[in-house]
Amino acid sequence: MFKSRLKVGTLAATLLLGLAACGGDADPDPGDTGTGDTGDGAPAGEAVVDFMHIWPAGSSPDHHRIVSDIIAEFEADNPGVTINMEVLENEQYKNQLQIISSSNQLPDVGMTWPAGFMVPYVNGNRFATLDDIFDEELNEDDFVAGTREAYEFDGQTYALPVELNIAPVFYNQELFEENGLDVPETYDEFLNVIDTLAENGVTPIALGNRDRWTGSMWYMYLADRYGANALNDAIDRSGSFEDEGLIQAAAEIQNMVDRNAFIRGFNGLSDQEAKAEFMNGNAAMYLIGSWDLPNFTTNEEVPQEFRDNVGFFKFPEVEGGEGDIDSWVGGPGVGLFVSEASDVKDEAKQFVKYFVQRWGEESVEDAGVIPGTQVDTDEVELAPLFIEVLDELNNASDITLFADVQMNAAVAETHLTLIQSLFGNEVTPEDFARQHEEALEENQGEDEVDFDDAEDDADADEAVDEEVDEE
Amino acid sequence: MDKVMSNKKIIALYVLPAFALLVVLVYVPIFLTGYYGLTRWDGIGERVWVGFDNYARLMGDSMFWRSAYHSFLLAIFSLLSLVGYLIISMILAGKIKGADLFRKIYLIPMLLSSVAIAQLWMRIYHPTNGVMNRLLTSIGIENPPLWLADTSIVLYAIFIPIIWQYAGFYILIYYAALKNVPNELIEAARIDGASPWQIGYKIKLPLIMGVIKVTIVLAVVGSLKYFDLIYVMTDGGPNGASEVMASYMYKQAFRTYNFGYGSAVGFFLLLLALVVTWLIRKVTESKEDNVQY
Amino acid sequence: MANSDVAPDMHKTMWDNPTVMLIAKFILYVFLIGVAILQIFPLVWLFLFSLKNNQEVFNLPPLALPETPRWENYVTVWTQGNIGQYFFNSVLVTGSAVLLTIITASLVTFAITRMRWKLSKPVLGLFMVGLMIPVHSTLIPLFNFFLNVNLMDHLLAIILTYTAFNMPLTIMILLGFYNTLPREIEEAAIMDGCSINRLFFQIILPMTAPVVATTAIINMIYNWNEFVFVQTFISSDNLKTLTVGIQNFVGQYSTDWGAIGATLMISIIPILIAFFILSNRIVEGITAGSVKG
Repeated sequence: MFKSRLKVGTLAATLLLGLAACGGDADPDPGDTGTGDTGDGAPAGEAVVDFMHIWPAGSSPDHHRIVSDIIAEFEADNPGVTINMEVLENEQYKNQLQIISSSNQLPDVGMTWPAGFMVPYVNGNRFATLDDIFDEELNEDDFVAGTREAYEFDGQTYALPVELNIAPVFYNQELFEENGLDVPETYDEFLNVIDTLAENGVTPIALGNRDRWTGSMWYMYLADRYGANALNDAIDRSGSFEDEGLIQAAAEIQNMVDRNAFIRGFNGLSDQEAKAEFMNGNAAMYLIGSWDLPNFTTNEEVPQEFRDNVGFFKFPEVEGGEGDIDSWVGGPGVGLFVSEASDVKDEAKQFVKYFVQRWGEESVEDAGVIPGTQVDTDEVELAPLFIEVLDELNNASDITLFADVQMNAAVAETHLTLIQSLFGNEVTPEDFARQHEEALEENQGEDEVDFDDAEDDADADEAVDEEVDEE
Repeated sequence: MDKVMSNKKIIALYVLPAFALLVVLVYVPIFLTGYYGLTRWDGIGERVWVGFDNYARLMGDSMFWRSAYHSFLLAIFSLLSLVGYLIISMILAGKIKGADLFRKIYLIPMLLSSVAIAQLWMRIYHPTNGVMNRLLTSIGIENPPLWLADTSIVLYAIFIPIIWQYAGFYILIYYAALKNVPNELIEAARIDGASPWQIGYKIKLPLIMGVIKVTIVLAVVGSLKYFDLIYVMTDGGPNGASEVMASYMYKQAFRTYNFGYGSAVGFFLLLLALVVTWLIRKVTESKEDNVQY
Repeated sequence: MANSDVAPDMHKTMWDNPTVMLIAKFILYVFLIGVAILQIFPLVWLFLFSLKNNQEVFNLPPLALPETPRWENYVTVWTQGNIGQYFFNSVLVTGSAVLLTIITASLVTFAITRMRWKLSKPVLGLFMVGLMIPVHSTLIPLFNFFLNVNLMDHLLAIILTYTAFNMPLTIMILLGFYNTLPREIEEAAIMDGCSINRLFFQIILPMTAPVVATTAIINMIYNWNEFVFVQTFISSDNLKTLTVGIQNFVGQYSTDWGAIGATLMISIIPILIAFFILSNRIVEGITAGSVKG
């Protein structure tokens, strides 16, 4: 059972806060030596903390630089502790994490995705709990409400968030103007935008659906606008996937496909390829998480002309639908975990704490990342587009966690495959819903742990170490 | 003579190092995989013994059988392409000026890593900017195929770079074998008035039959466990239209954390390859067969 | 690919006619050149787009060069990261593994084909079954093994794994050749009181030069391009090989066609050069082999 809707009411607090610059209090135990992992020899009396992250210098130069800076600062503040960094690209990272974790060789500190992704690791007792690092400098209140909770199982925190995202529809203002279009506020207007663009020979939407989670976001918005909470209810089994709103949303996806809303060959394109089409002005709209904001604001490698041209709008409301225009798809991205098997656990935890704090201060301004910790926007200079997105985040009525992250791995795989079939017109909306329902039903209770807000710990017993149900 | 050639010490000395490597690094792991296939395991937590449950599930798993069908299709295509490779090799091994240069050019794709080939062909097949569709559009085809997005052609679209990639490999093997056919035999036939066609068909072909059988096994087994390009180019999609057994195994084991089930798929794939190899042996068996494989 | 025109079934008298001969040759060359173009055209296109930026890739005709070729793509790629170190590691790993594989595999093949012992067939069978094992299903057990013997993050783990996994294929290719070696040679040698070790190293091994060259090329290609094992067993950046470095780079720059193109070109060029140098030797070897018959 996942508590997937973040409580965003308290998000107003986002704009408040001053994070005390911190540091220097990590006092490494001199007896705690070596890495225990890769066996690279460290001089006696020193602790080496292995740290794996997913931001290579090439694709995420800003992220990479900030991480390296924070590491350098941490090492300067904590003599005797060395951070040994390894960087892998997203997909490779996920594979590697599973292999090394099977032999209990996780790095001392690494990155994890929230909710469903963490379940096997938490069940297998691979991640250390991090509640004991909270103190007056950094505690639960410093995180945007609902973000830390996404990494919480059975009332215990297993990772700390470093990102928070929402997914707006970005659009090319010049292409809209050339075609005499305004930002659509209703779904009918949105369809009109698509039809006009398609008639004028402009690709309306860049979509890289080989990656599948991209198409899932479009579906999630329609599901939200038609059925409000229906998708979450279906996933946490308090409702059924064969909900009318969910079926209707699936039918609308196919309606959009029939109107040639999406770029040619979208099911064979990766998200990166689709993004390139949008950024070359070959497509008018692109739905993506706010993690891509730097490409539209600060990234110097993208032509200024293009960056000035990008705007965004909220996915419009559907007439007669139950959803709310201020409800967003998004949620926390990666978080930092500490390995339970680490023999430098104290230093690792100190590093995580230090990292999360410094990251909160640095990332907004330098990398255009919305951190999981709260941000004081007065203190930093930000691109207007970025401020607008932050404002939307603050006004959000709801943030629905990406469906494939909410679900456990097996159901997520089914979901993603069905998304591709739906966009490819290979499954009817009814079958789409039915097959989801079957997969959810079959995997109910399997591999799941409780995933609750701190407030309702009541039913938390049936949790982490509970043995996997037999079929 | 016999005594010398059956010296146990020497035999052990020659065979054991290789054998030890094979057992430790190939057989022990695959048997462990076989064991994992009898458990329910997410790759991380506790293994739970479930007996043959995973195999029972495999039998009724339509997605697995679909990917098995795709793997067998690939095997058939590879076999057909062997004929092409063989013809090219026979031409090259004849008296052709520049044969060496051609042979080298043909081998070039083989020098590329699968990652590079996948990246290259994804760009060739790009629906709007790819060279394939740019060429098709320029000769007046308005709606060129969506190579990797169309479920009805994606599998064949991936076969093409696979055949392209392996051309040099098989041509190299055939060419080396053909070059080892004794010249005297060919000359004798020529003097008897045999046409180049007859020399190829009646003299060279039978003499390299052993090598051909080896390549048949290689092509079929290689196809059954094929993984690389499919993983990078389509990830088995769209909607499983290009899923093969190895990519399905990988997905189960590493993507959906069904390591136990994934191991069962991997082990079953091995069994299938064994059966198919045995069948090929039976079919191609001949009296004068002195090549073992 | 197979074109039946190239091997016309005609009466032998026709082959005495120089015009017919000329036409036949012409058709053959057209065919060979056609195949050659198919094999290298994608690489030419790769080279062209490695000199463009995205704007030019998308808007220029595929075979047009941009006004100013963007060589800076190559500079960017070359100056990023550790390419020199990766290259050195690749050479070291590939070289050692190829050498080790060929020696151990030759020893085994010799013992199996030339020496007499009861278990030779079953042992050969075991080696051949190794061919059918899908590598991905052995990853987790192998990882565990190297961890236990302290070879994790060590190039030896990679070299041994390559040797073990390439052994079956190498033996398979060697077998056919060893079976064609005349037995009289070793009988004569043994009569002269030659030891088995000398027989193998000084007489048989040199005789197998052509096939050893073939297997060396094949092993070299496989090892040079291997990716999964390095990615899994090596974590230190200064021990990674070129393919892994390239793959990481490709993952990072996936939207920049020019940079990807330049990266792929850089990964191809060294092996291309090595191949063209080596392959002349191999052709000599093959020809020498064919003279001996």
